[in-house]
Amino acid sequence: MRRLKPFILGTSGTLFLASCATNAPQDTWKPKGPNAQKIDSLQKPVFAVAGIVGLIVATAVTYSVIKFRDRGQPIPKQSHGNPALEITLTIIPALILAIVGVFTFRTVFDLNKTSDTQMIINVTGQQWWWEYDYPANNEYGITQPIITSGQLVIPVGTKVMLRETSRDVIHSYWIPALNGKRDAVPGRITINRIEADKPGIYAGQCTEFCGLSHANMRMEAVALSKEDFAKWVANQLKPYVAPADGTLAKEGETVFLNQCTRCHQVNGLTRADGTPVIAAPDENVWSGAVPNLSHLMSRNTFAGAMFNLLTPECRTDVWKSESASFGAKYLAGVSEPCLNQTDLRGWLRNAPAMKPMYANPTQLAATNGKYRGMPNLGLSEADIEKLVAYLLTLK
Amino acid sequence: MFTPGSKYLIAITGLSAVSFAMYMLLVHPSALGAVALIGLLAATSLLTGITLFTRDGHTAEDQTSAATLDTPTPSMWPLVGAAGFSLLLVGTITTPIVFIFGIVAMLAALVEWTVQAWSERSSGDGAYNAQIRQRIMNPIEYPILAAVGIAVIIFSFSRVMLAINKDAGALTFILAASAISLVGLLISVRPQLKKSIVLTIAVVAAVGLVGAGIAGMGVGMREELVVAGQEDHYAHKECGAEKSEHFDKGVSETISAKSGADATIELIDGKLTAHAQGIEGLQDSITVARSNPVNIIFRNKDAGEFRLAAYLGKTKVADGVSEDLITCTQLLPQGAEQWLTFSIAKPSVSGEPYTLSIPGLAGQSVEVVVP
Repeated sequence: MRRLKPFILGTSGTLFLASCATNAPQDTWKPKGPNAQKIDSLQKPVFAVAGIVGLIVATAVTYSVIKFRDRGQPIPKQSHGNPALEITLTIIPALILAIVGVFTFRTVFDLNKTSDTQMIINVTGQQWWWEYDYPANNEYGITQPIITSGQLVIPVGTKVMLRETSRDVIHSYWIPALNGKRDAVPGRITINRIEADKPGIYAGQCTEFCGLSHANMRMEAVALSKEDFAKWVANQLKPYVAPADGTLAKEGETVFLNQCTRCHQVNGLTRADGTPVIAAPDENVWSGAVPNLSHLMSRNTFAGAMFNLLTPECRTDVWKSESASFGAKYLAGVSEPCLNQTDLRGWLRNAPAMKPMYANPTQLAATNGKYRGMPNLGLSEADIEKLVAYLLTLK
Repeated sequence: MFTPGSKYLIAITGLSAVSFAMYMLLVHPSALGAVALIGLLAATSLLTGITLFTRDGHTAEDQTSAATLDTPTPSMWPLVGAAGFSLLLVGTITTPIVFIFGIVAMLAALVEWTVQAWSERSSGDGAYNAQIRQRIMNPIEYPILAAVGIAVIIFSFSRVMLAINKDAGALTFILAASAISLVGLLISVRPQLKKSIVLTIAVVAAVGLVGAGIAGMGVGMREELVVAGQEDHYAHKECGAEKSEHFDKGVSETISAKSGADATIELIDGKLTAHAQGIEGLQDSITVARSNPVNIIFRNKDAGEFRLAAYLGKTKVADGVSEDLITCTQLLPQGAEQWLTFSIAKPSVSGEPYTLSIPGLAGQSVEVVVP
């Protein structure tokens, strides 16, 4: 017992202190939307009932173990059982389960309701990032499809239906504050409805083990007021603006054209002869797609939301801002002073060193030479400097 | 000079040499066959040499041992070995499967007879010797026999199912499953049932199944499967005039595909409509992800035969030369439906819009948008 004391104290203390955590963005007990609220309203009473039952059983077992422990006494008279007691102990759990079942089914059906959907977003999982496609939706000013990744932007108070699928293996989409998890399965479309009550950023993570960087496959849902969402849409639909001639960013555009457009698409980018650049990730990447970098600096994250595009101070400023001011701060995007240059440069310098990926060119025989994740491009520091300047223009 | 064992091995060695020579000269030789026969020849040569050198293990001394039986028990393995050898020879000039059966039979005979002979030298008690043999061989024999039994059941049943039509197949499956369940139920509720009755049922069922399988093989596959095989329907990709009666028929029956439909495209009264999964109402375009299989159901509700064609952009066939990439369904009569699966790698901004349309029906198309 003396040996167990430190273990028991340590475990209890850790659990107690963990329950006091204030910075827990993926807390499943803090719903921020009606769908998550429905789950919360179900899980709390179920948790209470399960806790009470567990306590009763544990107490009874502990009592029996202590009271009837072996003291060398003779074995008591053996009887076959007590039908009345057994029937009672069968009926009570059955009744509890039936009651829980009724409310569970009701919640499941409520969560699967789609007839009142107001917005649709196609969500595609891939090792190890999420892509978001917004089909045209005139009601929200989406006159042309929008494509983005890392951060899912939605208007508050809007019933958004996520049509999920995957390009490679099974992933699972989960923003705990907005709804339960739903698998994204290759070759299938699964439906997941989310809705946010207030503007803010809600964190999530892939919850189906999907390979080497599963733990780094994160996502963030950004809820904006309807007015701010309209501004975000308008920004996403803005045509591409090439950097001014003679600037470092213009040189960066050339580096981007030579090094990055084999896989990465920037809508509107053209070559010197005026022909549009169409990336061919299907020829270089196993899953056939990489993030579209149009308006990259309107997002706060990159590399599957594993890294922040904002410095910690600027990010905290956005995350902790009040609902009223959140939209304006988020829509400001990434400015040069707020750019997390350390991670971005590190990523451009050697991406596989920052995020585990199958990107070793000598070990790609099984994938016909195609990568899973971004390889080390061997860029010079000068090229990185130019690329950073160029990427900053993609707002 | 020549003991009985030596004579037997000399004969096998000679026949191995002859069969190897015949195989190399008369049959289209394969590496496997040549290795098997040369291996057999080498093994028998070695055993022959050993038995000649040791004079068959000093048999005179063994015969006087009090620990052995006076006479060996009857054994079927020499017969099996001989039959195996015959099959091996026949197989060299007929089909490989007979050759393989011959080798398997010979190996089985070799192992079984060796262990049997060894066990009979263990003691003068026949029952004890048999027990020794069983302890060694049963862990090998039972799994092999079970595997062979299962293989025979599956093969026989599959021959029956391939021979009869689909409806009869479903009925047969139901009846067979019901019969097995009934017999199982009978045995479980009547555990005192005579062993001979259970054995009779099992034997009758086995003989019946094998007999039906042989009959099925005799009849051959049903016509639909024969035609499908001749058409090579899985490679049948043209969007022109129909050549096949069985093109991609199976895909419409795939449960996984049915659960993964991106959209249903219907032709009604000359109008093409789209209904994307999970979206209420009809749409005139569908938005799909890049580089991801898209499953479409095409349903023809119009009078006449129509197919759905998907324009998927252009594909480069040579330097500076590209051609339209089009895939399509079969011509479907009114009321029929079929699946169409495709994948688009490039976003819509890359050129002409991707479309789903009905050949010969102008002005009706559904745009496929790839962000």
